[in-house]
Amino acid sequence: MRNLSLVLVVLVLALAAGVAVYAQTPAPAAAPAAAPPSAVTAELAADAAKAPATADLAKGDPGGSITGTINDVPVADSKAGLTLNDVASQVGQNKIAANFIWTLVTGFLVMFMQAGFAMVESGLCRVKNANHTYMMNFFVYTVGLFSYWIIGFAIQQGGSAGNSNLGGLNSLTAEHPLMLFGKTWGIFGQTGFFLSGHTYDVGVMVLFLFEMVFMDTALTIVTGACAERWKFLAFALSSSLMGALTYPLYANWAWGGGWLSQLGANNQLGHGYCDFAGSGVVHAVGGITALAVCLIVGPRIGKFNRDGSSNPIIGHDVSAVLIGCFILAFGWFGFNPGSTLGASANGNLRIGTIAVDTMLAGCTGTFGALLYMWIKNGKVDYSMSGNGLLAGLVAITAPSGFVSTVGACIIGLIAGVLVCLSCSFFENVLKVDDPVGAISVHGTNGLWGVLSVGLFADGTSNYGGSWNGVAGSVTGLFYGDASQLVAQLVGISTLIGFVFTFSFLLNLAIEFFVGQRVSVETEIAGLDLPEMGQLGYPEFVVKPEPDVLLQAEKQYAVA
Amino acid sequence: MAANKSQGSYYTLFLVAATVLCSGIFLWSGGMGKLLFFVGLVGIAGSLFGMLSIKSLEGKSAMKPSPLSMKLLGAAAAALGWAITLFGMHLTPSVGGRLVLSLVGIAVSLFGILVILPAAFNKNAVWKS
Repeated sequence: MRNLSLVLVVLVLALAAGVAVYAQTPAPAAAPAAAPPSAVTAELAADAAKAPATADLAKGDPGGSITGTINDVPVADSKAGLTLNDVASQVGQNKIAANFIWTLVTGFLVMFMQAGFAMVESGLCRVKNANHTYMMNFFVYTVGLFSYWIIGFAIQQGGSAGNSNLGGLNSLTAEHPLMLFGKTWGIFGQTGFFLSGHTYDVGVMVLFLFEMVFMDTALTIVTGACAERWKFLAFALSSSLMGALTYPLYANWAWGGGWLSQLGANNQLGHGYCDFAGSGVVHAVGGITALAVCLIVGPRIGKFNRDGSSNPIIGHDVSAVLIGCFILAFGWFGFNPGSTLGASANGNLRIGTIAVDTMLAGCTGTFGALLYMWIKNGKVDYSMSGNGLLAGLVAITAPSGFVSTVGACIIGLIAGVLVCLSCSFFENVLKVDDPVGAISVHGTNGLWGVLSVGLFADGTSNYGGSWNGVAGSVTGLFYGDASQLVAQLVGISTLIGFVFTFSFLLNLAIEFFVGQRVSVETEIAGLDLPEMGQLGYPEFVVKPEPDVLLQAEKQYAVA
Repeated sequence: MAANKSQGSYYTLFLVAATVLCSGIFLWSGGMGKLLFFVGLVGIAGSLFGMLSIKSLEGKSAMKPSPLSMKLLGAAAAALGWAITLFGMHLTPSVGGRLVLSLVGIAVSLFGILVILPAAFNKNAVWKS
């Protein structure tokens, strides 16, 4: 009986509590009264009513004057009709769409440069190595892309969130820091492996495509310098490691929020290391790695005589070389203007200046090399003329976003002469055999391009009002900021001190495990049959090589 | 010997192992990540030693051994120049001082790359004989 009373009391109390809670629960708010349409909304509705009707559009629009109207703006709420919020959202999405399209299309142009590299490098090699050289250029695209997807992109861009051109890239948030001298320095990125997890994102995909083709450009530079004697397996391993580690590390330091880009904010060195489109990140990394591998691989049989003098080893196809140079120059319009990562907002309309700077530097680079060789030897040299064009383009790559057209012309002209002097220095003084001049075109002139930012940047660019987190425009020594030159010198020192050493040791390890160079028999026969199993030109009758090369080959064959 | 099936097999193993290793890094926080990392590492080691085992079949290349100590000295000089530049930035706040130290660092690196290393590789170069 007592238990029953207790249960009843509890039930009553629970009922009372429920009533109390119900009483305190606010009554459901009455549906808000429909807000009266604002003047703007009413105006938008009136404009929508005036837009061409479906019947008008059905008649066709040959002049293009009625296609694309206010009625093409998507509305969030069909009952409310078009609002100011809808229009603003569409404007924002249009900005991102324009930037996506710009970055993707310029990335496609850069990808096409692989064809140019293949033609230039193969054309400058002998016919017996044509298939092998083409195949290295073909396969390096695959090798580099895969390495970059599994790890390279994560190391390079894993901590580079905050680019408003591509929608913020907010999932790329993890940069591994190092505390040194009381400052935080970025060392490598940590998100973006396999483009999975939070980096499965439209903006990240656009960035990946663009950065990947840049990385592949760096890789393909090495294949030219080591052509005609590089074992295919060693090339494949070396390229895998370069795409996975060497390139991404330096690119992170310069572009991915790493320590070189922080030199301005942390050390008051101008705007930090500035490399607009990659004279240093792409070309110097490629050229310096090419030097490291070239030293290990050694010169081709017959290149040098006993007294140290060198023999010219003539390429087999002038047309391939010069058409390849034009393809590269065309692709460079993706390389430099595309590096704004957008065409809309944040000062990106400077793409016009960047494109013209690129053209002019290529022009004066060609002048520099062509005239230098003409005056020096009395003849116009096709290979050095082509290399002059490329040298001018390489040198303008870093400063293209920061210099005037006059600056671009001077930079290109110096590059054109420099490539001739550098080729001669590496061949005649250091006894380094570089069949295509890649070390000079990309290495020497890549460094010159990096340096020229610190000299010629004119302080007129304005990419959203700051660069590398430092307010104002990038300004070089000739326009009043000596500290920018120091930042560029630190970048150069890192290229020749770190990138060279790292590449050299990696490739020494490959030399130990694999061996970098083909056998004497393979080299004399040409790499096409022994390495590829197929001649590049199977139906051609190949004329004998010059006597000096034949004699050298006979000596090696006997030895 | 030139290119052959074994080279293709070991390179394929290298690629697969590198992919497994990177998967391990990606999944590092879970227990599976460390296992994948270790498996990938073993696979890469296996592929490299496989390549080493067939290296001698290649035949002689047109190169003679050059002194390893000189090569390492050249690389060390290149790295030393970089270190001078890096620490030079923190030795002095003046732009002029940093400029000079950067140039010194670059000069040391270039000495290693353009003087020591070519001398090492050209010491026993076959074209001299």
